[in-house]
Amino acid sequence: MLDGIFFEKRGVPSASIVTDVFEATGRAMAETWGVPRYKFLMMPHPIANLAEAELDQRAREIAPEVVKLLLQGQE
Amino acid sequence: MLRSGLTSRRYTVEDALEAIELYFEKGWTDGLPVVPPTEERIRAMLEAVGLEPDHEITFITNRQTAVTAEKVAINAVMAGCKPESMPVVVAAIEAIGDPRWCYHGPGTSTGGAAVLMIVNGPIAPRLQMNSGDNLFGPGWRANATIGRAERLDMRNVIGTLPGRLDRSTLGHAGKFTYVIAENEGDSPWPPLHVERGFSPEQSAVTVMAAEAPHQFYNQLSNTAEGVLTTLCDDMRISGNARGQSQYVVVLAGEHMRIIAADGWSKADIRKFVFEHTHNSVAHLKRTHRVVGPIKPEDETTVRALVPSPEDILVVAAGGRAGAFSAYIPGWGGKRTSEAVTKLIRA
Repeated sequence: MLDGIFFEKRGVPSASIVTDVFEATGRAMAETWGVPRYKFLMMPHPIANLAEAELDQRAREIAPEVVKLLLQGQE
Repeated sequence: MLRSGLTSRRYTVEDALEAIELYFEKGWTDGLPVVPPTEERIRAMLEAVGLEPDHEITFITNRQTAVTAEKVAINAVMAGCKPESMPVVVAAIEAIGDPRWCYHGPGTSTGGAAVLMIVNGPIAPRLQMNSGDNLFGPGWRANATIGRAERLDMRNVIGTLPGRLDRSTLGHAGKFTYVIAENEGDSPWPPLHVERGFSPEQSAVTVMAAEAPHQFYNQLSNTAEGVLTTLCDDMRISGNARGQSQYVVVLAGEHMRIIAADGWSKADIRKFVFEHTHNSVAHLKRTHRVVGPIKPEDETTVRALVPSPEDILVVAAGGRAGAFSAYIPGWGGKRTSEAVTKLIRA
């Protein structure tokens, strides 16, 4: 999350992804760093216990959103 | 005398009880009533450490937050500290702002670490800090209020609020307060702060991101190896997937005397515990701590619980009677956050 904010501050497009239970934490970090409207993506929690095929599926599902956010930017 | 004035917002209330309720309403307490921080009480805290209100004690980089002496003094009053405890609170705040402690990780993680503080040196008896019976329990003002002050700073100044930037899944009661002193008077060994570079005449606080203390029981053995073998059997399976960054081992009266009678130094204890807490990769895979199928070589390939023997901090403390001692796992994997020792200027 913070790495994504740093990239954006340096003009490098980025897409941060958190699992949905960390939405409030991600928002709090964005506020802390002075970018309260920072856009980030979410996927269902948890992910650490997913099998490889399930992880691939998650990646396929979120990839279009990542592309969209990178092209759209934070503004 | 302080040269500058206090700048925090003031609230006017009818009496102390109304102030206490106001603090609950504002969400500025740990769930227990606080002492109302009047200007006189705040100033007494600042005078005790000779710091101006705007003095920056630490800056928490990851939270972009400056922790000033005024805010620390306010929260120390709220926690019920006496002014003479303020130097310990200031040193502890410096410690959690040290990059080696790495605030954001243990402060935020689901792992639920609290801030364990171990006080050494002449200030401990001067503040009547407990290093004996009921070591981690209630009953001693300095122990209880110093830890509480530090947690209130984390909450009220640094914004470490449950559900937001404190995402502990479980946490533990040490997050109210988690402060002990080493029993230097009875200990046969050099105190922790001396091992970590300070002189016996200096006072220091060692701060570690820590899980709850885990007791172990051994009243059958009268040898160092016997007592520590029981400890290691408990400790060995207490780590996360890649082990822990550090542990504290607290040796209470009976065990302390048995181990010392065998002539073992703290270094001997560290070495033994390090060597007897390895897990085989096969075991870690069987118990689903490490992913993947078990290969034949996994039975003989071992992983250490901590990176080195020096990552086991040995402390003599706890009651004189009872065949119990304790180990305390640190937070996270290897080198994610490490214990930091700071001088107490008193």
